Amino acid sequence: MKKRTVDILAPVGSFDSLQAAINAGADAIYFGVEQLNMRSRSANVFSVTDIKKISQACKAAGIKAYLTLNTVMYDHDRQLLRSLIKEAKKQNIDAVIAADFAVIGYCRELEMPLHISTQANITNIESVQFFAAFADVIVLARELTLKQVAQIVADIKRKNITGPSGELVRIEIFVHGALCMAVSGKCYLSLHQQNASANRGACTQNCRRSYLVKDADSGDELLVENEYIMSPKDLCTIDILDEVIQAGVSVLKIEGRPKGADYVHTVTQCYREAADAVAEGSFTAEKIASWKTALEKVYNRGFWQGYYLGRQTGEWATQSGSAATEKKIYIGKGSRYYPQKKVGEFTIESGSIQIGDTLLITGPLCGMVKEKLETLYVNGAQALTADKGDRITLLFPLKVTPADKLYKIVDTTHA
Amino acid sequence: MPKIIHYRNKCIGCGVCYEQQPSLWRMSRKDGKAILLRGISKKGIFQLTVPGEVMEQSAAVAKACPVNIIKIV
Repeated sequence: MKKRTVDILAPVGSFDSLQAAINAGADAIYFGVEQLNMRSRSANVFSVTDIKKISQACKAAGIKAYLTLNTVMYDHDRQLLRSLIKEAKKQNIDAVIAADFAVIGYCRELEMPLHISTQANITNIESVQFFAAFADVIVLARELTLKQVAQIVADIKRKNITGPSGELVRIEIFVHGALCMAVSGKCYLSLHQQNASANRGACTQNCRRSYLVKDADSGDELLVENEYIMSPKDLCTIDILDEVIQAGVSVLKIEGRPKGADYVHTVTQCYREAADAVAEGSFTAEKIASWKTALEKVYNRGFWQGYYLGRQTGEWATQSGSAATEKKIYIGKGSRYYPQKKVGEFTIESGSIQIGDTLLITGPLCGMVKEKLETLYVNGAQALTADKGDRITLLFPLKVTPADKLYKIVDTTHA
Repeated sequence: MPKIIHYRNKCIGCGVCYEQQPSLWRMSRKDGKAILLRGISKKGIFQLTVPGEVMEQSAAVAKACPVNIIKIV
């Protein structure tokens, strides 16, 4: 049996991603519901009625589920907030992740386990000690160095700082995903430009655009190396994960609730394997290169290691959107399933596929499945290609429904 | 007369509509989302016909909504 020293915490914004996280070996997932989470603008937001289903799926898979309630809270949110925490407790959600004192207070009153969100910007042991009265897990600020993280962990042990459970407080840090230009996500750029508060989950990603820098007096434009002067590259710590774990971190958090099941599966699996490799003493340069290649295939803005190794300035993206080496093109959706033969039928709604293509299927039952197309049956007969309107059949172990989406993977490096 | 349309399901409860035009908006204490006062619901989409004189303010509210769920038609 593998010796697991750290938990991998995966982001979930849909039931497809939830299953992908489970399949890829996550120890826990986090999700938001309704409007009180930092991803409320995202297309896929769970509702309060989904909490039960999410909890049941996680319990069945033997992993933990955390509900994120980490926006700025107003007075008019109080009743919804209470009802969400009550529902989370009723459905055995393992903890709430929060930064606002109203949420912290309600969790304490309702005896709901609590984790302190990175939005609280915890950067020192005194703050950890303060919040330990309320929370067993604390997510540190992303701007700390690993040396500072290690010192905080050492001080937790030295001072015997325990949470409400009586156990030593556990430290969680972000290890992968998008970074914000503002400290601990406290950004007002969207609010000032479009009246959309990032702190209510409505970030309009203004930082991801290209900008010119102009001297207002002379009208001269400054020469800057890169127009994306406010868009940080994505955090990636896979090549320093041994150092991250040695710092004493207990939970490795992956960012990306709005991202697809393919992203969640790939990133979770890479960090699961890397964390296990560190535990087994087989964390090699060869494996790191292989994980890095896999991570580059899914959404990213280019990678850097964040501030963990003491970098004083950030690294900035060089393009808008993703720099992923692969992209997925929507082809169609599931239409029928033949359970005895374990064959799934998909209807092609856009584009075409051919033998040799790599297909990606995402869905609430399968999570993410990626495989090379070796044989193809179109409208019941063997074929080499399939086009819009065709019905193709594939051997598939799980029930196929219209919620299953079929994509073709295209290499973007040869475009 | 012009109409305000409120796609309430997608409201994130920021409260900017209520702050700017309290005569037409309230924040629900039940679910934290905005309520278009006297609005008539059709499948969760609320509509209210309003006199022309308040339209300038309503247009500003529609523009201010961070998730663009308030429309004037």
